[in-house]
Amino acid sequence: MANETKLYKVVRYVFLIAASIFVIVPLIPLIFMAFKTGAEYSSTSVLEAPKNWLNTYNFAYAIRVGKLGKAFLYTAIILTVSLFFQVTMTAMVSYVLHRFEFMGKKVVMTMFTLTMFIPVVATQNLIFRMMYGVGLVNTMWSVIILYSGVGIVGIYVMLNQLDNISREIDEAAMIDGAGYFYTFLHIIFPLMKPACTTMIIINGIGLYNDFYIPNLYLNRDVQTFTVALYKFYGSMSTPFEIVAAAIIIGMIPIMIVFIFLQKYIYNGLAGSVKM
Amino acid sequence: MKSKNRSVFILLFLILPMIHLVIFSYVPIIGNFVLSLTDWKGFGEIRFVGLRNYQRMFTNTEYISMFKNCGWYFLVAIPQLVFALLLAVVINGKFRGLNVFKGILIIPYLLNGVIISTIFIIFFNNAGSLNTILEWLHLDGLKHQWLQDLSLVNPSIASISIWRYYGMNFIMFFGALQSIPTELYEAATLDGCTKWQEIRYISIPFIKKVLFINILLSISGSIQVFEIPYIMMNGSNGTGTPVIMIQQSMSTNRVGFAAALSVMVFVIVMIVVGLQRILVKED
Repeated sequence: MANETKLYKVVRYVFLIAASIFVIVPLIPLIFMAFKTGAEYSSTSVLEAPKNWLNTYNFAYAIRVGKLGKAFLYTAIILTVSLFFQVTMTAMVSYVLHRFEFMGKKVVMTMFTLTMFIPVVATQNLIFRMMYGVGLVNTMWSVIILYSGVGIVGIYVMLNQLDNISREIDEAAMIDGAGYFYTFLHIIFPLMKPACTTMIIINGIGLYNDFYIPNLYLNRDVQTFTVALYKFYGSMSTPFEIVAAAIIIGMIPIMIVFIFLQKYIYNGLAGSVKM
Repeated sequence: MKSKNRSVFILLFLILPMIHLVIFSYVPIIGNFVLSLTDWKGFGEIRFVGLRNYQRMFTNTEYISMFKNCGWYFLVAIPQLVFALLLAVVINGKFRGLNVFKGILIIPYLLNGVIISTIFIIFFNNAGSLNTILEWLHLDGLKHQWLQDLSLVNPSIASISIWRYYGMNFIMFFGALQSIPTELYEAATLDGCTKWQEIRYISIPFIKKVLFINILLSISGSIQVFEIPYIMMNGSNGTGTPVIMIQQSMSTNRVGFAAALSVMVFVIVMIVVGLQRILVKED
């Protein structure tokens, strides 16, 4: 890199440390709170560390009362099924758009591109009526169906990947007598694994954290983690230190994902803008 | 035979995603335009009332103020983008602790709206961290009831967006900076450029397009604000937004009015997108 003066190096560290403090400070009281007893919470300042760091009462209570285990299970099912459909269908659409010329290709591409600009919030009014009409509200299928669409960002990630997979591979397979389905399923799709991984991570984080759709469609027994947390938090009878413990529990899976897959998140998100 | 197979293949691969697209994106948009002209309750007969829903939206001060609230969210996007850009510029290099900083700075991006709302309730509460810190600094005069004071509540909760969303902008800027060919930097070094000149004349011009996309994302995002004011305040204390209003109209079966609000949000987002297309083409 260029001539980094001493001053620049100092400024960089000062700025990065200040930014890190900005990120961390709001999180500290939450962590403190999760370990405090009810009496301790009401008598101490939010920025005072808990007396006993081994107090797990709040966590146990949160899991038992908040039905968090069940919510995690539903979230896992919804995520797995939705991501499976999202990824396979996006790969299929991208493959066809990348490798074939056909009538109406431009129209198809434009239709997918335009949806990027249609705000989800501006469509649910009617979709809710449709889902209600067919009896899918309060079942996880409503959410899974809504999540299983093909988005343009995913298409771009996949198209970029296909640029790097030689057409000769397809042709060789076809000459050997493989059909279109076989070529895609057994030869091309496995080669698209990096793009699929990126999509699973980026979209997975998005779906895990989504609140709007599950809050709208899942109001009874079936809940995702965000909705369960919201219900928990919204009922004024739940002590705040319990809510804090529930939140810490909710942060664990995403933090694990992040620790192992940080590289993919950075590369994936950055890659999705290079359209 | 071959070409027939080919067409069947293309059709089969496209048909499901296309049906999904039409049912869940295009039909609702067109349907909302039609329903916005009715007073449908979600059941029973559909009666056309002309532009009455829109008239109500534009004459009731409560609804107008909800659209105005979006302005706060757009305003905080300015420091948010500046912060994210500076961060991306300084982190773009090789130095000790790089990965630790990258790890810390991405945390807010990973958290959901309910978690962030709780974190900031604790932050802004009367006995919360902000007031406690102000007390420590002997700045008692600056202590406020951030969430109760009607003139402070909207800017307070809007500012949460900075913490929540800067990470997204930061990663995009960072990605764009990483894609700048290193030869450019090498040439600059040979010519004796300082770091400041390098940032000013290479980095910033190079990522102009991504910067522009992020500005437009912020505008269209601020018209769609929902989670934070809904979860933290339930839209009370004058913190309502158009999307909260859509939600409330839906739950009280005012489908026609919800449709009119949805159309408004859609139209505003479309104007922003249109502007983007025009401005980017001119570039």
